[in-house]
Amino acid sequence: MNRERLDHWIDHNSGRLFILPAVLLILSFSLFPLIISGWLALSRFKITADGFTLSFIGELNFKKLLTGSQEFHFLGTRAAIDPIGWLLLVLVLGLLAWASWRFVAGERFNLLGLIGRLIAFPLFGALAWNFATTLGESARLGSVSTTLFYVIVGVSIQFVLGTALAFLCAQNIKGRTFFRLVFFIPLMVTPVGIAYTFRMLADMSVGPFSPLWKVLGLGEFSWAADPWTARLVVVLGDSWQWIPFIFIIMLAAFESQSRDELEAAELDGAGPLQIFRDITWPSVAPVAATVVLIRVIEAFKIVDLPNVLTNGGPGIATESLTLHSFIEWRALNLGGSAAVAYSLLFISTIACVSFFQLVVLPMRRARER
Amino acid sequence: MTGRSLIATTLAVGLALAGNATAQEFDGVTVNVMTFTGPQIAEPLQRRGAEFAEATGATINVVTVPFSDLYQKLLTDWISGTNSIDAGVFAPQWMVDYVTPGLLEDLSERVAADEALASDDIAPFFREFSQKFNDKTYMLTVDGDFHMVYYRSDVAEELGLEAPKTWDDYLAFAAAAHGKDLNGDDEADYGSCIAKKRNAQSYWMITSIASAYIQSQGTSQGAFFSTDDMAPLYDNEGFAKALGVYGATGEYAPSDEINLDVGDTRSLFTSGRCALTLDWGDIGTLAIDAENSSVVDKVGAVILPGSARVLDRESGTLVDCDATTCPHAIDGINHAPFAAFGGWSGGVNSKADDKVKDAAYAFFSYVSQPAQSNADVTVGATGFNPYRLSQFESRDAWVEAGMSEAAADNYLGAIQASLNSPNMVLDLRIPQNQRYQQIVLDTAIARFLAGELDIPATMEAINEGWSEVTEELGMDEQLEAYRATIGAE
Amino acid sequence: MSLFESKRRGEMAPASKWLVYTLLFLWTLVVLFPLYWVLITSFKLPGQVGDGPDYLPFIDYRPSLHAWKYIFVDLGSDTFRPYLNSVIIASISTVLAMTVGSMAAYALARLHFRPRLLSIGLFLGAFALVIWLVAQAGVAWPIALSAGIAVFVIAVPVFARVRSPRLGNGDILFWVISQRILPPVVAALPIYIMFQQLGILDTHLAIILTYTTVNMPIVVWLMFDFFVSIPNDIEESAELDGASKLRIFIEMVLPLARPGLIATGLLVLILSWNEYLLALFLSTAKAQTIPLLVAAQNATRGPQWWYMSVLILIMILPVVSLTVLLQRFISKGLLLGAVKG
Repeated sequence: MNRERLDHWIDHNSGRLFILPAVLLILSFSLFPLIISGWLALSRFKITADGFTLSFIGELNFKKLLTGSQEFHFLGTRAAIDPIGWLLLVLVLGLLAWASWRFVAGERFNLLGLIGRLIAFPLFGALAWNFATTLGESARLGSVSTTLFYVIVGVSIQFVLGTALAFLCAQNIKGRTFFRLVFFIPLMVTPVGIAYTFRMLADMSVGPFSPLWKVLGLGEFSWAADPWTARLVVVLGDSWQWIPFIFIIMLAAFESQSRDELEAAELDGAGPLQIFRDITWPSVAPVAATVVLIRVIEAFKIVDLPNVLTNGGPGIATESLTLHSFIEWRALNLGGSAAVAYSLLFISTIACVSFFQLVVLPMRRARER
Repeated sequence: MTGRSLIATTLAVGLALAGNATAQEFDGVTVNVMTFTGPQIAEPLQRRGAEFAEATGATINVVTVPFSDLYQKLLTDWISGTNSIDAGVFAPQWMVDYVTPGLLEDLSERVAADEALASDDIAPFFREFSQKFNDKTYMLTVDGDFHMVYYRSDVAEELGLEAPKTWDDYLAFAAAAHGKDLNGDDEADYGSCIAKKRNAQSYWMITSIASAYIQSQGTSQGAFFSTDDMAPLYDNEGFAKALGVYGATGEYAPSDEINLDVGDTRSLFTSGRCALTLDWGDIGTLAIDAENSSVVDKVGAVILPGSARVLDRESGTLVDCDATTCPHAIDGINHAPFAAFGGWSGGVNSKADDKVKDAAYAFFSYVSQPAQSNADVTVGATGFNPYRLSQFESRDAWVEAGMSEAAADNYLGAIQASLNSPNMVLDLRIPQNQRYQQIVLDTAIARFLAGELDIPATMEAINEGWSEVTEELGMDEQLEAYRATIGAE
Repeated sequence: MSLFESKRRGEMAPASKWLVYTLLFLWTLVVLFPLYWVLITSFKLPGQVGDGPDYLPFIDYRPSLHAWKYIFVDLGSDTFRPYLNSVIIASISTVLAMTVGSMAAYALARLHFRPRLLSIGLFLGAFALVIWLVAQAGVAWPIALSAGIAVFVIAVPVFARVRSPRLGNGDILFWVISQRILPPVVAALPIYIMFQQLGILDTHLAIILTYTTVNMPIVVWLMFDFFVSIPNDIEESAELDGASKLRIFIEMVLPLARPGLIATGLLVLILSWNEYLLALFLSTAKAQTIPLLVAAQNATRGPQWWYMSVLILIMILPVVSLTVLLQRFISKGLLLGAVKG
């Protein structure tokens, strides 16, 4: 009798029981660390005769990052904005203005959206301004801007190349399975391994391309000594690993287009461009948006590549936010490390949620229409 | 007797003399020893660990982590009470952060009772400074560390140059040799190779250069901070000159020097591509490795170059050397040899089981005993550099390892000169010194080398960073600790 | 017939076909060349690496097995232990993540949850209470935890009648997925403290639990839309016949979702197998995994390229073999996953 009632109770509550383990795990491993980390970010670690103390110091760690002695490290060194900086700034601010206008004048205006945008847009504007003012010849990027560079430039390159490859592979060709398999391999290499591999490959004197460098007169050039080439090599390594991911998913998206629609359109005499715009893109766009979101979420956390390739150098040029936090951690500056980590969490959460709300959802909605 | 039974017998005798009872005493005991990834340091520990295991039944597990993570991993493991590591081989300068919360076992009694260790044979500097803190012994030295300059004696002869005595000499030597083919492969080579990679082991290099300008009145004058008010000494004309020298060495170096770690520069030097380098004692023994070195018998070592002008602390400017400003000058040049890092030493977790502690101590003692140590320090791959008087006195072991008598005299002479110098610079040993050196100094120097900061800005960054850390941790405590370590009264 | 006109409709012009093949082939080179370089470096001696690039074994240089010997023989157990640890940790955490994640995804796909905002608020309040008790009042954590649970359990029925807005499935889903945004470095120290209190640091269990939690959101994400796209007629009729939900899930739904499960499982396995940062934080001696061993090859003697190459290769091998075996499911599975939106 009891067994039956137990079974019945389990069945009745099966939904909650199904979801319970997941919720419990997240609560213990995400919520709890989040709170503790937040508290750490507000305290200072010190070794004492009894072990250690964590004393509450309020927002001092953050102040140090934003205006204090670590400002050069976190935000960068500012100088006059150069033309490229102006271009970027105008672009971003223009985009934000346009998005705001569309929201206010549009039909989906609501309180939650307003609050979200009031938080997100000023943040983006500030990040863009910080990036522009630290971009110039005599200026230096800080870890915030470097991370943004990795995310935006890296994911863009990965998306363009991955989609292009997928498009090529989706054509009527043989050996698609072979390509799918081979192109998937880079995903399987551990990031630390990729970092070392690329360090080997990029070596100007004993790497495989050294004859090429010598011919080009670059034999004495060191990619690790110039901030932008160092960042580029990091992006290259990251792209090599993640283009397969985008490729696989976009290939599936291209393959899943309705054959009938395509053939019908061709029969009607539609040109390739028209087909792409009216049939392919609407079907593929939501997938593209989602895969970019997944990539962006992961890209914010980049650490293995800059750590192994250049140890964060030259100077602090290739330090991502996670690496910055990690370096602070190594000297047991727990408060400083947590402050940087929390800033990363803040920026990446707002960026990813905004991207989801402003790009992914509209594309899904458009497809449904 | 076969080699191995000889070792086992030595061990048994050694242990017996140490009062640590007979072989098989530690049967079933496992000791987890943590150090950084070798082969330097880790390899000899593993090798000696296997011998020790055979003789005593203990199991020695050598766990390795990357160098820049060693401090944090060990401290976190012990201070959080996890205690999965029983002993560590690490830097004596970190001792202060481990001893203060009572994480290291006091080894004074064991050392006093340990005859096989031959404590008197350990050079006084290492015995008193690297092993002790507040007059108690907490660590056993297995390696002696001093920075020196190495030069190609054949190149010097060819160019008619002498071993550099000042940093200006060093630059002149580098300039003369740069671009020439130094190893017969028809390719231009480099005048100077110094490890400058960030977040690695490069942040001692600048102190090696700067100390000659900054400290002249003896060890207790200190080379990092003022002993009166903890004001950083890295913001004055002397340090500016040092930064200038450091930056200038880059002109005669490989273009990716900023990404080279000590491992890379050692390879470059031993394959003959550099005329000069600044490093610990490893180059001496690596150079004589016939299999991997192209510069056997072509390497000279010299005490750290000095300066004919030193800092007058009150005015903050450089003044010429004379009897009052440079009482320890040699030929009118002030040398300040830098005991960088202090020499790898073994410490035991105070919270480990007693049996484990005994086994760990016995193991470290075994590694440090003359029979083992004198052999290991002659092999470059071990990373162990000489620190025992017997290693300096007798040339036999060195000649047997492949050094010519002249080379051995030269190499050991340089180390001895450094050891015996009254103006030796002690490495920073105040609480959380990692934050001063590995964070503030390393980052500022990396930015300087990358061209991000000019000399005044670099000095300001270091000054600000150090003052901030001192303020956060408490100026009085830091000052007291600093004065205690360098023996300032 | 011109090269630029297709022979048949639906086929490409020969010129375009050649172009496509060329470009794809170029990218194949880009993918395979670094791996080839790793392969031949694993057979090089230290001196050979320093001399300059040698491209072809047996022709440019004589391959040697010294690196392989060192890794497998000299290091022996020091290689085998991390390898075994990696295998155990990756496989168990993948299975766990798939189990927990699929169950949660299924529940979210089939049922409607409408948690009250107020209840969530009460939960957070109880949580904060527990932490305050431990941190400020110095109460032992098991006691504090029980107190917090008690407070929550009592408070919910008390406030049962108070009106409050409700959240929906979409919000729960978003919350689960947004866990992925949390950078590991934020969570590392608190998790370390948590495990240290529980006494499971440097064990397989600690890392398995962590990886399961970190990867589970991906499983939920990818499997959710998969389940949504499966029509529930079969399940409904089975329910009418009296089968329990659990049985339906295990015996009917999972087999249908097999391609998605395999594809997602493979992805999660790869993520666990390659993870570095959390493993570095949470392990010291016993639970070291292989990525740590690879990273540690950067010794003071310079990066030991040859040993590193061997380690990279033995890391890729099992994953590649597994992928080849299961490759049919990769694209199909991910296709029907969340990406369809």
